Amino acid sequence: MNTTVKTLALAGSLALILSACGESGDDNASGGGELAGSGSGDSCVIEAPVPVGAALSLTGAAASYGESQRKGLELAAEQLAEQEGVTYELTVEDDATDPRQGITVFEQFAEDQSVIIGPTLSNGAFQAQPIAQEAGVPVVAISNTASGITEQGDYIFRVSLTEAQVIPQTVEISKEEFGLEKVVVMYSNDDAFTESGYDVFASALEEQGVEVLDTLTFSKADTDFRALLTEARAAEPDAIVVSGLIEAAIPLVTQARELGIEVPIIGGNGFNNPQLMSETGDAAEGVVVGAAWNSASEGELNTAFLADFEEKFGHQPDQFAAQAYAGMTVIDHAVRAGCSGEREAIKENLGAVSDVETVLGTLSINADRDAEHPAVVQVVEGGSFTPLN
Amino acid sequence: MSESVLVFIALNAILAYSFYAVLVAGQLSLGQAGFAALGGFTAAALAPAPSEVGDLPALLVAVVIGMVVGALAAVVLGLPTMHLRGVFLAIATLGFAEAVRILLINAEWTGGANGMSVTKVVTPVIAWVCLALVAYWFWRQGPSSYGRALAAIREDELAARAMGIDVGRHRLSAFVTAGAVAGLYGVLWAYYVRLLAPEDFDFARAIDGLVMAVVGGSTVWLGPLLGGAFMTSVPEVLRSIGVEAGWIRPFISSALLLVVIIFLPGGLGSLLPRVGARAPADLAEGGEGLAPRSGRALPSPGETVVRVSGGNKDYGGVHAVRDVDLTIASGEVVGLIGPNGAGKTTLVNMISGLVPPSSGTFEVLGTTPGRTAVHKVAQAGVSRTFQHSKLFPRLSALENVLVGAHVVSRPTFLRRLLWLPGARRDESQVVVHAARCLERAGLGDRSREDAGSLSYGDQRRLEIARALAAEPSLLILDEPAAGMNHVEADALSRLIGSLAAEGLTILLIEHNVGMVMRTCDRIVVLNFGEVIAAGTPEEIVNDPAVVEAYLGGDDATPPGTETEEVR
Repeated sequence: MNTTVKTLALAGSLALILSACGESGDDNASGGGELAGSGSGDSCVIEAPVPVGAALSLTGAAASYGESQRKGLELAAEQLAEQEGVTYELTVEDDATDPRQGITVFEQFAEDQSVIIGPTLSNGAFQAQPIAQEAGVPVVAISNTASGITEQGDYIFRVSLTEAQVIPQTVEISKEEFGLEKVVVMYSNDDAFTESGYDVFASALEEQGVEVLDTLTFSKADTDFRALLTEARAAEPDAIVVSGLIEAAIPLVTQARELGIEVPIIGGNGFNNPQLMSETGDAAEGVVVGAAWNSASEGELNTAFLADFEEKFGHQPDQFAAQAYAGMTVIDHAVRAGCSGEREAIKENLGAVSDVETVLGTLSINADRDAEHPAVVQVVEGGSFTPLN
Repeated sequence: MSESVLVFIALNAILAYSFYAVLVAGQLSLGQAGFAALGGFTAAALAPAPSEVGDLPALLVAVVIGMVVGALAAVVLGLPTMHLRGVFLAIATLGFAEAVRILLINAEWTGGANGMSVTKVVTPVIAWVCLALVAYWFWRQGPSSYGRALAAIREDELAARAMGIDVGRHRLSAFVTAGAVAGLYGVLWAYYVRLLAPEDFDFARAIDGLVMAVVGGSTVWLGPLLGGAFMTSVPEVLRSIGVEAGWIRPFISSALLLVVIIFLPGGLGSLLPRVGARAPADLAEGGEGLAPRSGRALPSPGETVVRVSGGNKDYGGVHAVRDVDLTIASGEVVGLIGPNGAGKTTLVNMISGLVPPSSGTFEVLGTTPGRTAVHKVAQAGVSRTFQHSKLFPRLSALENVLVGAHVVSRPTFLRRLLWLPGARRDESQVVVHAARCLERAGLGDRSREDAGSLSYGDQRRLEIARALAAEPSLLILDEPAAGMNHVEADALSRLIGSLAAEGLTILLIEHNVGMVMRTCDRIVVLNFGEVIAAGTPEEIVNDPAVVEAYLGGDDATPPGTETEEVR
């Protein structure tokens, strides 16, 4: 390689690094008083668009969830823009399911956004959300279910129900419905979400006096569950309780039915995905899913959401999309309540959110900054989720 | 640039350095993620909480714990795997890293997949100070005798052994360095990201570190820093120029990576001017360099240097060497000739300890080659060249000779770290010594060229210069004149003559019979692994068995004919 090319290459990489240094700091959208509006509620008018940053896992291991969330947010922002008075400037960023990216994105959002949504995974949330807390930017978590998320600080809110809110109901209702006495529990122990889900299942089962015959662990990367299922079948349980992600749920449910296991399979939030029926077909019949969102809800908002989502993206939304959509609804409510797009005002009003109608149902934020809304226990019947309660 | 980008550049560069630490010695290890995880988790669990003792003391304790744990893990993994090479080592270390990750996920004290909460202590300044210390370490390591030994092992392990380098020990110490640096990375990571989770030390992380080390340049000490900065800033740049989030960004990053690797195979570091050892302009300076540096006196003339009795080497059913008896006395120049495949090289390989004999007694300068390690034989004073050049191709000619001087130079790395004046003096003395050896082999003006780019004849002479730099008592030359024209061969003959005059014992394998006749005191003829004749050149020329062997063999040129070149 000759010297000219070398020099060019060196200059190029230098420019690359320098431009990384030179970014940020010039477009401070939250500056000025434009974000404070006049009026309140529906009559609120804010001149400048309210900057909302969403740090989602669009690539990497959690990409499938992040993509759903992005669609939910975009649909919500589009529809909110049609209403009078307040508009939102939604910036969706990718954390690549990597803490390094997550932290960097949060740092940038902390500079110029009024409110931050995300990140997708709970582990990433513990790594990134403290940055917003320190910078005094309110965060709305739309999919973190681990305990301790909102304990990180008074700027951290969430609209996603924790496992502790959903799973005990699932166990209780399943017990009533199927007369459960003894179950086998299976969970993937190398994933933060499914592991904490298991913890809640275990304590809920104990509380309800359901005997755990056996506890079997697998890896989130596993696709063959026949050996474990054979072991589970041998214990003759009344049901199999599974804390796993949808990627595990599909082969697990299919293989269980192939092995002749006809007892109910009870899953958590990870199972609440239309793929469960579309990928497994008849095998999904009788699978019980405790979830934060009732896709079959007849509510006006939900019906409209399902239709609009289908029209815009050509497929049904999943729980991640619904929660993302609801997150924007809650933010809009908080912004309009104080008629201000400023951080402090949003923070105050997020804390005061009470009985807001969302696609998840009537939602309130409690004193711990966690969401409270009805959970749903559904069972797959005739190829779709049907409420069990 | 935001705070986190600064910190992650430093952290990524430190991770890349932990790969660089072994890549410079030619080892491909993927175990660093495991070392980092062990170091990070142990430190986070054992170190006092920053709220109790203050941020910096807590971090310092954690760093010490992490680096010690990382280094210990490297020893534990290194001892059973150090004999593995290339992809086998990579797979073994990868298996280790996976085992560590699974262990941590299933352990109670780590919090399993949900991880461990750690106070954030690391600031950009702390991260960059740590990076500076690590980079400083490798900057000082490079041009020390230790650093050159690692480079020699990377370039040609066998030749490094033959130059008296204890390959096992050097490889292990490089591995331990990698473990300690990876442990440092694990601790800094833990004390920056707040949540320490086993998933952050997976296979992808190991690949990240490897890619950054290679993109930056795995043989330039600044390389890992460049690689870390490049790989960390690409996503930031893509974000700031407004490339839409999603698949397109990793796609562009990967494409850029491809471009760099294709157009800069030596990594970004190859753009930097290369600073190598420089030969002093005036070799007459520092005259004391002429004195033997080894402190090892040549054996007194007539003393037995090599004694082989009943030497045998079988490869399966092939008897490469059969019942060879050979004694070489100090000061002798012995020629070893014979047709191709007669077992000459096998015999000298056994004498220099590279190949263990099947049976027979070998004694060389008080060592027992075959049972004594190769580098110990070399340290006893045996130095050799190879039939097929075994130079260190990416090192300069001077650096090659400096590696040759390994056994006669004092270790300088630790003194270089502390800038002790003795290190500089020792280094410049050994450079003068090496430059003289080059000069003597007629390569004085080639000292800065890469060995790999030298002409064939120059490469042969460089090997001789390298062998001479070890100040050997016994010099073994395996076909040194191969590929030389007769002018060069004559010069070589004169060089051998002058070495012999200094009292060096020389064992010479050569097809150029004229040269053998002129330079050797005694000639041993091998055929089909057996000694068929031994004696003075005159006796050999007239030996009927020799004539028969040459006429009957593939090489139909009897010795004593006045051809300068047989090959």
